[in-house]
Amino acid sequence: MSRSVWKGPFVDSYVLKKAEAARESGRNEVIKIWSRRSTILPQFVGLTFGVYNGHKHIPVNVSEEMIGQKFGEYSPTRTYYGHAADKKAKRK
Amino acid sequence: MSDEMICVGAISGSYGIVGETRVKSFCADPYDIENYNPLTTQDGTRSFTLALIRPMKNGFVARIAEVETKEQADALKGTQLFARRDQLPTLPTDEFYYSDLTGLAVYDTGGAELGRVKSVQNHGAGDLLEVQLPGQSATVLVPFTQAVVPTVDLDAGRIVADPPEGLF
Repeated sequence: MSRSVWKGPFVDSYVLKKAEAARESGRNEVIKIWSRRSTILPQFVGLTFGVYNGHKHIPVNVSEEMIGQKFGEYSPTRTYYGHAADKKAKRK
Repeated sequence: MSDEMICVGAISGSYGIVGETRVKSFCADPYDIENYNPLTTQDGTRSFTLALIRPMKNGFVARIAEVETKEQADALKGTQLFARRDQLPTLPTDEFYYSDLTGLAVYDTGGAELGRVKSVQNHGAGDLLEVQLPGQSATVLVPFTQAVVPTVDLDAGRIVADPPEGLF
């Protein structure tokens, strides 16, 4: 069952505070968070979060397409390297 | 760089009784493996011309020109298929093959060495360089963006990074 709309998106309050502080300071820093369950809000776009995966903090650059998803979706808890083959990395 | 061999797939066994093979593709678009013909073994002693017949679970059914019987196909089980680096298409500026980035030395803007690229990963929030710190087994993930990685010099084998605070 999906979450009731009247409740609004869930975000741990400390994530909001940290994001607000980072935005006000204007410094280029990784905001370390442990809250994988928090929803990505529009005010997080452009910030870089370090989302804990149980082992280390994975950098997550928040973009518009990620709004509404949870932070944990971008920080996998299992390592799988696979083969590089012809895979490409694009510098944005 | 052109002599470098890149693993693009593997033969996982025979299929049927007429000499067809099961092939796994490691390419970004699995069908692209056919474009890198002829494929070779890592030492380059054997060459294979691959024709994909149809997709199947975990790979393709493929016909290899040099393989005519089921026994020959069985004997190739586990063989990795390699393409030469110069067979891969040229990429536009600011796009790089994972295999080109892996192994490059990473320096900060002051010229101090931060480590070497161990792998490139993408978990859905942009590409990340996994940098292995010198003399340690620990790794650090660095976002592969213009702001954080302003310079990638493939010829010199170096990357200049300006990592955000709290990353290293």
